[in-house]
Amino acid sequence: MADNGQEFVFNLTFPFSRTLGSTLSTFSSAIAEGQIIGVRTGGRVIAPPLEYDPETSADAGTDWVRVGPKGTVSTWTWVPQPTGLHPLSHPFGFAFITLDGADTPMIHAVDAGSESAMSAGMRVEARFKDPADCVGRIDDIIAFVPASDPSPSEGAGEPYVAPEENDITEMDAYCDLTYVDNASPTTIMWANALMDGRIIGQKCPQCARTIIGPRGMCSVCAIELDESHVIEVPDRGVVSNFTVVTPTPYPGQTETEPFARCSILLEGADAVIAQQEILGVPVNELRVGMHVECVWAPENERSVADIDNRSRGSGGDAIRGWRPTGEPDEPAELYLERMM
Amino acid sequence: MAPSENDIAIVGFAQTAPQRRTNLTEADLVLRSTRQVIADVGIDKSEIGFTVSGSCDYLSGQGFSFVQNTDAYGMVPAINESHVEMDGAWAMYEAYVRLLQGDIDIAMAVGVGKNSNSDPETLFTVEFDPYYLTPLGTDTWSLAALQARALLDSGKATERDFAEVVVRNRANAKSNPMAQLAGDFDVDELLAADYVRNPLRRHDLPPTTDQAAAVILARGKRAYDLCERPAWITGIDHRIEAHLPTVRPDITTSVSTRLAAEGAGVDKAPIEVAEIHAPFSFQELILRESLGLDGTTEVNPSGGALATHSVMTVGLIRVGEAANQIIKNGRDRTLAHATSGPCLQQNFVCVLEGDR
Repeated sequence: MADNGQEFVFNLTFPFSRTLGSTLSTFSSAIAEGQIIGVRTGGRVIAPPLEYDPETSADAGTDWVRVGPKGTVSTWTWVPQPTGLHPLSHPFGFAFITLDGADTPMIHAVDAGSESAMSAGMRVEARFKDPADCVGRIDDIIAFVPASDPSPSEGAGEPYVAPEENDITEMDAYCDLTYVDNASPTTIMWANALMDGRIIGQKCPQCARTIIGPRGMCSVCAIELDESHVIEVPDRGVVSNFTVVTPTPYPGQTETEPFARCSILLEGADAVIAQQEILGVPVNELRVGMHVECVWAPENERSVADIDNRSRGSGGDAIRGWRPTGEPDEPAELYLERMM
Repeated sequence: MAPSENDIAIVGFAQTAPQRRTNLTEADLVLRSTRQVIADVGIDKSEIGFTVSGSCDYLSGQGFSFVQNTDAYGMVPAINESHVEMDGAWAMYEAYVRLLQGDIDIAMAVGVGKNSNSDPETLFTVEFDPYYLTPLGTDTWSLAALQARALLDSGKATERDFAEVVVRNRANAKSNPMAQLAGDFDVDELLAADYVRNPLRRHDLPPTTDQAAAVILARGKRAYDLCERPAWITGIDHRIEAHLPTVRPDITTSVSTRLAAEGAGVDKAPIEVAEIHAPFSFQELILRESLGLDGTTEVNPSGGALATHSVMTVGLIRVGEAANQIIKNGRDRTLAHATSGPCLQQNFVCVLEGDR
């Protein structure tokens, strides 16, 4: 949770490398060279090209056609305050632009200076990035701008001969989304208890199960649970299951050696606290049935900054992990049937 | 009507109070809506043979977020469950189809969206064509505005018409305790506002809402055990068009809506009330025409999507509101519509009828 204890911001970012297939590869390889193309299918030219005819689903084929760089606006809008995702940082238009030589429009930005410059029928032309910066994406065209000369584009409508092999067959895409979630009442209860060095659950009045890492509901009976159902459970229990993870490198993975994540059934609980770390025990010496107790971070080092609605049951930076108590193990068979 | 065993009705509908910002989770919202509808209909949850929800990972920012939401169903012993990454209206369609198999009598469909965690101006960009639209930051507001401008230029509507849709829906919402934006507004004052995306002003855009809703469907005679006047589904269809609006022949009309309305048999008899899911004001004008409604149909007495707009829930609420017109208000024939995708790409139409 953030400092105010109520809201937390998280960024969802993940990189994609998309394979393009033959049609998009041809488009990308052409646009990287400053040539926009379409495909002739069903008696019309679709630009930018699709792999299929959107009306008949027939293979659109490879009858490539040079289109643009000039075109005509059919419908338009104006973005007075661009977002970080938009191609321009100053006010601009989006428009349907039917490129010379094409029969269907494309959507692109129009850098027209002012809203009043926009109109249906306006002639525009593509403004490309510096050739060295073109990577074969639709945004290699920075924007369209009002055409200095409204006359038809030279060569538009003529066949485009694609190279034997396309230079560009993949496209990098980066997803970057920001969310601001707010802690639910149940999440706040859980986090506050952790700061106090307590582990709490909620006991269902109907089935009498105690769920650790409270959810504000009994997920067996489907009824709401609230503060009146909160109970404190001892910070000790038994390892009911574990898995050993051999880390593979991926963004965000900091582990390099095999590590274990354990489920622990606390005394008096009916649901495990999952994904826990046992301290000081080599992974090959872990056993189902081991008695463990919580190792709390010192009070002045505890933090629940990482606790959000999606991480209930996590100890955040309040719980360092769990250590064996040295008591004799419980029989492992007692835990074989347990899933949660 | 004397139902055959293949007649299916909506027998209950519940929704959580819409909020601009809730501190509950989606699972919490699902629990509250499903608990309510189960209690209203008067069944035990174990009597539900199939449960299906509509929600969206992009709104949650978490893969498989619907799995956490299933906590709210109480799945011990295990239940028959499904999910669509679409509005709950399409979940309801799946529940309908599942009931047609004939081996169960009761199904529940749920829609949930905690929309306030993300920014609607940018979020949906990642759901568009990743090659030709997403790299440009093409946003759902801009796409709607391109459609609105085309409608204006076609001469079929004016900006004043857009504002009048807003005024009427928000006025209707005054009598709906489950509406988020309600009140009396003046067309000229609305038209004095700046554009957010020319020709759309803030009031032409939907509000942001956190909400869940649930309906219970029942098959054949079982419906009468649960509801005095079931809302029988006498027609249901949904159609989809090309994702890229640029390759659709004419975005000032909605071919998919017209075909879905034909498939659902809308024109077989007059529609008394239509609950239309038009996220943007002008889209109501396109949809009215494409649904084939005439001036006798009362449109959106609830206030519609301009009053309350929880993406993933708003379409199912149209179904629930249209059903309640039959279950509670004694109407005979109503219509529910839901939409999905850029510029009305996909459209769902359901005709509901009461016993006469």
